[in-house]
Amino acid sequence: MEIFLENILNLVGFIVGMVIGIISYIGFRNTGSPTLFRLTLAFLSIGAGFFIMWFGQTLDIFVYKTGQIERWVQTLGIAVQTVGYFFIAFSHTIKSFFPKSNYLRSIGMVPLFLISFISIENIIRSISFILLAYGAIETLMSYFASRRKTAILVACGLWALAFGEFLGWYYFVFPQSILNVVSISVKISGLIMLFIPVTKVPLTKIKFDENL
Amino acid sequence: MQIIGDILLTTRDDTPDEQGASITYLIRKANISHGRISKILNNLVAQGLLEQSNSGGACKYKISHVGREFLQAYNTFNKFADGYGLTI
Repeated sequence: MEIFLENILNLVGFIVGMVIGIISYIGFRNTGSPTLFRLTLAFLSIGAGFFIMWFGQTLDIFVYKTGQIERWVQTLGIAVQTVGYFFIAFSHTIKSFFPKSNYLRSIGMVPLFLISFISIENIIRSISFILLAYGAIETLMSYFASRRKTAILVACGLWALAFGEFLGWYYFVFPQSILNVVSISVKISGLIMLFIPVTKVPLTKIKFDENL
Repeated sequence: MQIIGDILLTTRDDTPDEQGASITYLIRKANISHGRISKILNNLVAQGLLEQSNSGGACKYKISHVGREFLQAYNTFNKFADGYGLTI
């Protein structure tokens, strides 16, 4: 049951990541905006990370039938996703640190020294959590500046992903608990919230780049 | 990007006459220096987003068809990026 739910999460993550990545890429090709380029890298990485995990799990379900995804495949998938979360956080850093904020800079670095170095996967999950939490805070700040409703939904989505990562990390401490199922469900809801700005793009009005 | 968006928007919706907007007018609207706006305008003309004409010895700038399409894409994706708390 758990592996099927995780498989659905990974498939949803792959589709959502790719669709947002492609829309961002169309935007980048049409406007040449570096922000949209970073969003493209972010969401294509997130989509690719989910795809790696989905592919590994699907292989396990239908071919190897061990009931558990290969550890190195999971670590690779999470690492690729973290690259995506990094680009989201990086875009906010560029936007926020031109007017320099020593307060945010200081609290942004502290958690890096507090993480537990139990395994590579744990470290990557910790980094993902920090990047997602940072992205969520910055998006929330943007909402207060622009009052755009989609921004608050994206902030909630990033928080849900961060919370999902946190629960996934905590699952290592209590491996037999329900935490993993909760973590997966929270992450699915987070991904759906991230998808909301895409539904506001009037695709029929966009002139697609001829070379695309 | 925002300056480019502002310049294109001015040349589309806010020109003082049909021949287009002068550099002085655009400097006032975009609030940037003469040297900087000259480089940006040359780039925009070279890329076909603006049309340059001479009227009474002064350069005037009008938005082109490509410029209008770019501006539409710019507005669409500006809202999209804004949804993620970012500006393009």
